[in-house]
Amino acid sequence: MTTLTDISSIKKRAILFDATRCIDCRACMVACSVENNVPNDVTRIWLAGDGVVGQYPDLDRATMPYHCMHCEKPACASACPVGAYTKRPDGPVIYDGDKCIGCRYCMNACPFDVPHFEWDRGVDEHPIIIKCDLCSNRVDSGGEPACVATCPTDALIFGDRDDLLKYAKERIGNYPDRYVHEVYGETENGGTSYLIISHVPFEQLGLPTNIGDEPVSELSEKIMEVTLPFAVGWAAVLSGVTAGVRKYHQKQAAESAEETEKEA
Amino acid sequence: MSNTLSRRDFLKIGGVTAGALALGQFVPPKVAEAARSSGTLDATNSGYIPTMCEMCVWRCGVLAKVENGRVVKLEGNPQHPHSKGKLCPRGQSGLMNTYDQDRVLSPLVRVGKRGEGKFRKVSWDEALDYVAKKMLEIKDKYGPEAMVFSSTHNLSQVQFENLLNAFGSPNYGTQRSLCFNAMIVGNLLTYGMEEPGRDYSKLKYLILTGRNLAEAISTSETGDLIKSMDRKTKIVYLDPRFTKTAAKADEWCPIRPGTDLAFHLALLNVIITEKRYNASFVSRYTVGFDQLKASVKSYTPEWAANITEIPADTIRRIAREFADAAPYALAHNGWRTSNFVNSFQTARAIAILNALVGNWGKTLVPAAGEGSSALGAPPQPPYPRISALRLDGVPWKYPLVPFKLGVFQELRNNILTEDPYKVHGWLISRQNPIQSLPDRKRTLKAFGEMDFIVVVDIFLNDTAWFADVVLPEASYLERYDPMLPVGDKAFLRQPVIEPQGEAKSALWIYKQLGERLGLGDFFQYEDEEDYIRQQLAPLGISLEEVKAQGYAPLPASEEEENPYQWNTASGKIELYSETLANSGFDACPTWQEPPYPSAEQFYLLTGKVGQHTQFATQNNVLLHKYQDEPRLWMNPKAARRLGLADNDLVKVSSEVGAIKIALQVTEAIRPDCVYMTPGFGHISKGFTIGRGVGASDSALHVTYTDPVSGSQALSQTFVTVEKA
Repeated sequence: MTTLTDISSIKKRAILFDATRCIDCRACMVACSVENNVPNDVTRIWLAGDGVVGQYPDLDRATMPYHCMHCEKPACASACPVGAYTKRPDGPVIYDGDKCIGCRYCMNACPFDVPHFEWDRGVDEHPIIIKCDLCSNRVDSGGEPACVATCPTDALIFGDRDDLLKYAKERIGNYPDRYVHEVYGETENGGTSYLIISHVPFEQLGLPTNIGDEPVSELSEKIMEVTLPFAVGWAAVLSGVTAGVRKYHQKQAAESAEETEKEA
Repeated sequence: MSNTLSRRDFLKIGGVTAGALALGQFVPPKVAEAARSSGTLDATNSGYIPTMCEMCVWRCGVLAKVENGRVVKLEGNPQHPHSKGKLCPRGQSGLMNTYDQDRVLSPLVRVGKRGEGKFRKVSWDEALDYVAKKMLEIKDKYGPEAMVFSSTHNLSQVQFENLLNAFGSPNYGTQRSLCFNAMIVGNLLTYGMEEPGRDYSKLKYLILTGRNLAEAISTSETGDLIKSMDRKTKIVYLDPRFTKTAAKADEWCPIRPGTDLAFHLALLNVIITEKRYNASFVSRYTVGFDQLKASVKSYTPEWAANITEIPADTIRRIAREFADAAPYALAHNGWRTSNFVNSFQTARAIAILNALVGNWGKTLVPAAGEGSSALGAPPQPPYPRISALRLDGVPWKYPLVPFKLGVFQELRNNILTEDPYKVHGWLISRQNPIQSLPDRKRTLKAFGEMDFIVVVDIFLNDTAWFADVVLPEASYLERYDPMLPVGDKAFLRQPVIEPQGEAKSALWIYKQLGERLGLGDFFQYEDEEDYIRQQLAPLGISLEEVKAQGYAPLPASEEEENPYQWNTASGKIELYSETLANSGFDACPTWQEPPYPSAEQFYLLTGKVGQHTQFATQNNVLLHKYQDEPRLWMNPKAARRLGLADNDLVKVSSEVGAIKIALQVTEAIRPDCVYMTPGFGHISKGFTIGRGVGASDSALHVTYTDPVSGSQALSQTFVTVEKA
């Protein structure tokens, strides 16, 4: 079972990660790279956690595939001056590279340290933020996210957030010795669509445990009230630059493609 | 481990995208037309084509997503029992095996010195004519036995063996003695079958002896293991390393290497002494209980504790728990079981342990045969008689090793000793003996003895690098292979795109070569599709239907097979083996003291990681992206003693070689062991991504052969470590 809810009837898309089932094989990461055509020097899912913990021979392992938490109230969206982030009502937080101006406010705002900025890329090489979009295209056409679909041990399960929360709590109830008695993401930062249950304390998986239940976005909105006029002004300038540079590069790319064809 | 996957790892191969590499393969008419007519591709050449994975030997079912004529994604086929809709990271990365920038896409003939890597591109006709001419020269001058043939587990192997047998050479090298000879021969001499099946559905208790299912992934079985945790199956795991499987186990026993046999002998001792065996099962279905009882009498848990370094109480408790859980208990026979020269007796002890408590028919079941007779085959004339001795010592030196398994490392040794004769040529197909055989230096020397080496592969791997001729094979997404029966279906591997460049299927290459060798009668198929049609003929299903659904249903066997009959000499499960006794070996499992390292030495352990298969996948850009840097594991206690720190470059030396590698100081290993992931340290400059990463374990491994099963003892090499 990898999808708890009939996909067409999901109200709020979410993923439940069960660290006790994960074997750290990284099939999810490879599948994500292929599905989303992610360049080889970056990743949308990375490995987090302390790895081997304890002292020989009393050992345990703590790792998780870490990616966007898809917050109910995403701080990235509140912090973004140009609306490059959208929270879809059905769950995913979507990043639009065409709107992004590379200001990196989202990186500072995200309490989970998710948006990764591509320092090696110029602002014209969009997208410059690499982030999970919950495989929205796949799911919109009736499939499961690529990571969930391939997970050989069903450590990743897809479904409606409410159903997954209920299921996660049932599992904790059925196996009280196996799990920490809490679902990470139920309330953190106002709730997330990536939910986690675990055999080790969540901080060992690399998850921040010092963030409250109140979404950071409310805080960032307050800041934005002060900085917004400035930011929007800057944004206009940067967008202009971006568009210009991008056009130039598109032209160059077209020319070099022609040359390649001629050579061939 | 760092908090995130190392960014340096990503930057090494900077900028190249999977998409960019995957671009540009439009399906030419033949594959596309067939896929459109079977309904798997639409008018734009997009859709899903069912086929089979070849990133390891588990062979999961795959649905290849094709868009505008190129493979863009692979999904697990829910209808295949080995994948059940899932793929491991290697399976997911498979399209970059096909679109690898380093593929060999035309036949090559060497022009420089061997190992210089200078080749010229030639036509198939020129290459095949040349190979046939050289092979016939050798045959005429020295006899067919002067050609060695070798190949590793693959679906076209049946036609490779056909070529070997038709040519008339007795010299055949496979990976088997480097992997599972101990387990197979152990099972054959106990149950009369190579490997019984395993049923996890009601399993309550599992003992895994180094079977690292979380990293040596067999997709469906790995899934079964994790699912069994929900039923609260108790998992006991024996391994000197804290692997990812150890992390899932209820109990990890960091056993001393080479002593698994002592542990299992003590389990047998407790179960027999405390009368916890299934007496009615034992008396009805086994032979030799009294001899076994006498044989294990002195192997108490206290005796084993000294040897294994597992406390006696723990061993006794595990024996009792195991017997209590029976018949829903299972002692897993492991897979790569060739660890020490006593591994054969370990395999026997494990097989016997299951029989003793009556697990048969519950968790251990008759194997679903891969060799179903329901499929047809091309007509086959009789093979020529072979009179020459086998170079690998079977059976004249290794009387109990089945012909099919062989003793590859002995074959290599005897190439050098020329005992009992000298060989002159070597045909290697889809195999990498430079990296797989122990003692790489010696293998390179054996290559040097050859007048002629020809390699069939999709890459210039380390072996192809030293070849005189390289014949480019089509990748598994570009070709047909003979069908594979699994359970009640026979599955098809079919091309989902046309072969790139000049690459051709093994079925085509072997037939072409066979015809040029004057052996055309042995290859009675027109082409790959004709071969599959002949396989399907008795089933009354068309190739087109099979192409559309990916499999052909097999008829149920007419005879009801009796699961309580075994193909052994006695017809029963043999706790005591007359066959072993007659060959002068211990007929019941008996303790054999393994060698131990000196105080300055470490056991050199090797094992699998989830991201790679043997030596074949290190150049895959997607697996490279998500692999851990291959370093030498060492316990901090040992590192302190040697004054070594994490990431230090160290020199590792055995009696046959030395390597340099970065050190990984980790609690996850016994202080008397070091570990390295095999398959790295490639020599070939034909690998852009995999070259220069990690070091080769084959450069260190010493050749030790178990006289019963012919297994290479892969963990019996001891090394010293110092700062480089």
